[in-house]
Amino acid sequence: MSAQDKVQIRKLPTGVPGLDEIMGGGLPEFSFNIIAGAPGCGKTTLAHQFVFANATPERPALYFTVLGESAIKMLRYQQQYTFFDPTKLPNSIRFINLSQTVLEKDLGAVLDEITKEVENTSPSVVVVDSFRTMLRKPHNSLNEMGVQSFIQRLALFLASWQATTFLIGEYAEDELRDNPIFTVADGLFWLRQTEERNSVVRKLQIVKLRGQASVPGLHTFRITNNGLQAFSRTFGLSGQKRRGPSKRRLSIGIPELDKMLNGGIPEGDSVLITGASGTGKSVLATQFIAEGIRQGEPGIVAVFEERPQAYTDRADSFGMDLQSAQEEGKLLILYLRPLDLSVDETMNEILDAVNRIGAKRLVIDSLAGFEMALSPGFREDFRESLYRMIFALTGIGVTILSTVEVDESFTAFPFSTYSISFLTDDIIRLRYVSIEAQLRKILVIIKMRGGDHSKDIREYEITSERGLVLGKRLKNYQRLITGLPEQLRPFGEGEEVGYDWVAKDKV
Amino acid sequence: MIPPLVTRDWARQLLDYETAVGATSMPVESAGACVYEKLRRSLCELAGVAGFHSLASRALMLATSNTPSLSAVQIAADGSLQGLNDAEPPADNHHVREGDVVLIAQLLKLLLIFIGQSLTLSLVRDVWPDIAIDDTIPGTGEKHERAR
Repeated sequence: MSAQDKVQIRKLPTGVPGLDEIMGGGLPEFSFNIIAGAPGCGKTTLAHQFVFANATPERPALYFTVLGESAIKMLRYQQQYTFFDPTKLPNSIRFINLSQTVLEKDLGAVLDEITKEVENTSPSVVVVDSFRTMLRKPHNSLNEMGVQSFIQRLALFLASWQATTFLIGEYAEDELRDNPIFTVADGLFWLRQTEERNSVVRKLQIVKLRGQASVPGLHTFRITNNGLQAFSRTFGLSGQKRRGPSKRRLSIGIPELDKMLNGGIPEGDSVLITGASGTGKSVLATQFIAEGIRQGEPGIVAVFEERPQAYTDRADSFGMDLQSAQEEGKLLILYLRPLDLSVDETMNEILDAVNRIGAKRLVIDSLAGFEMALSPGFREDFRESLYRMIFALTGIGVTILSTVEVDESFTAFPFSTYSISFLTDDIIRLRYVSIEAQLRKILVIIKMRGGDHSKDIREYEITSERGLVLGKRLKNYQRLITGLPEQLRPFGEGEEVGYDWVAKDKV
Repeated sequence: MIPPLVTRDWARQLLDYETAVGATSMPVESAGACVYEKLRRSLCELAGVAGFHSLASRALMLATSNTPSLSAVQIAADGSLQGLNDAEPPADNHHVREGDVVLIAQLLKLLLIFIGQSLTLSLVRDVWPDIAIDDTIPGTGEKHERAR
C-alpha cells in the first residue's frame, strides 16, 4: 500500500502547550483515550484544555460528569484558568450530569443516556469525568467481561459517531497491567505527582498511543493559571536535524584568550569555565556575551544566583553595557528561580528566548545555581538532563558557555565537582596560585574537542576597565596547577616576576 | 437576605417574560413556577438532580427569610417546587409576585456566587434565547462587573 492510499489521521490540538509535540503532532481524531492518575494531578484540567481547544458550535463537546466533583464547583474552579472561555458554554461545550442515572440504574442505562445525547448533538469531543467512579458501583453483579463489553460498546459507538473521547479515572499504577479498559483504549495518558522532600514534581507519560509515535518516557508538566504546560524530554526538537559542525570561531572577547583557543570558540561548542569563587568566571562569561552583541550575535544569559539588574550593573562596572543590548532586543537575561524547577522547564524558557531573539550565544551562570533551583528529584537526574539540554541547544547552533564553581584545593586540580566535563567540548580552568606572597590567578585551557589549543598556563587579572586581562606565561615556575608553585631559578636582574598589564597587554 | 439588585432585575425580566407568555395562553401555573421549572431542567442537566436540589434548598431558605409567605413552599426530591402557587395570593396575568421575584433572584444569586456572571448569563440565555437580559447597572448604562 502506498503512502497516499493510507488513511490520513487528523491530529487534533491538545490545547496543552508542549503536549502536541510529545504526542507526535497532536491527538488522533476519533481516538478513545483514558486520562489516568491520582486525585489532584490535573486530569480534569487536561480534559478541559482539550475541550476548549476543539469545541465549536457546529461540532460541540459533551462533558459528562459522574458522581465526582460537583459540576458547579468544577466550573467555579476551572473558569479561573485563562483557557476557559465562558462564551463557549453552552453552545460549544455542554456539561451533562449523569449521577442520577449511575446511582439509580445500570451501565446499560448510562450507555443509553450517552447515546441519546451524542445522537442529538453529534459532538466532536466526548468526556466522561469520572469514568472510574461509574465503574466502581456494583452494577447488578456485573463481572469483568460485563465491564469490558460496556467499554467496548461505548468505544465503538463514540468512534462511529466521529467523536474523540476522553475517559477520566483515578487509577493506581498497579492497575495498569490487567485492567480491561486499558486494552480497549487507543491512548493512555498517565499523570503522576510525587513528593520529594518538600517539593512536588508532576510528570506525564503517554503509556500508549495507537497510530502514531509519541515521545517515550516521563515528561515534566506544571499547572499554572494557564492550565497544564508540558515539557517534552526532547525539548520540542525531535525530528529537527542537527546542524553540522561549523568551522567558524567565536571570539570570547579577550584577544589573547582567542589566540590560546586557536582563533576562538568553535561555533556550536559547549564551553565550561571552572574555578573557585572570585576567580572571574562570571566576568569571563559576560565578556563572551558582550563580544557576541558587539559582533551582532544576540545572546541569552540564564542567571540563577543573582537578579538580572544586579547582573547588568556588575557588567556595567566592567565597562560592558548590557542594559542597552537588552533594550535593543539583542540580549535576554533570564532569571530562573521558580520553586521545584525542572531542567525541561528551564530548557523551554531558554529555547523560547533563543527563538525570540535568534540567539547565537548562551551563558549559564552558574551550573551550581541551576542545580540548586531544581527540585530534589530532578537533581538526581542533573547530569543526564544537562546532557540532553546541551546536546539539544548545540544541535541548533547555539554556543554555550557555562560556569561552574569548584572547591579550590591546593593539592588537587578538579575541573568540576559535577563530573560533567564529558558534556563539554572545551574546558577553561581558572585558579588561584600563591606566588611571591600574593594570591594570584592563572588560566589554562584543559581541553578543546575541536583541535589544538595553547598549553600555556597564563596569569591573569580582573580589572575594572577591561574585565579579565591575560598576562604572561609563567615560565619560571613548576607545579603551578597545584596552586603552590615552585620557582625554578632565581630571577635575573631586570627579569619580570609577573607581567605588566598596561604596557604589555594590547587587548 | 435580600438578593442584590442585579439578580432581582434578571429575575423580574424572566418573570415578566413568562407572565407575558402566560397572558397570551391559558396560564396553568404562576410565572414563578414556570421560570423555576425551566431553570430546574437546565441546572439538573448541568449539576445533577442532587446538585440542583441543594442549590434550590439554599435559595428557598434565603428567600423565605426575606419573604415569610414562602415558608409553605417545599423542594421535592427531584428538585421541583411544591406549594409556590399557594404561597401568595394569585397575581393577575400582568403582575409578578414578590415571592417569585425573591426566590428566582436568590437562585440566580447563588449561581452568580458560584460560577460568576458570564456563565450564569450563558445558562439563562440558553433557556430564554428570546430575552435580551439586561446586565447593565440601572441608571448608569454600565455593564455589571464580570465575575472573572
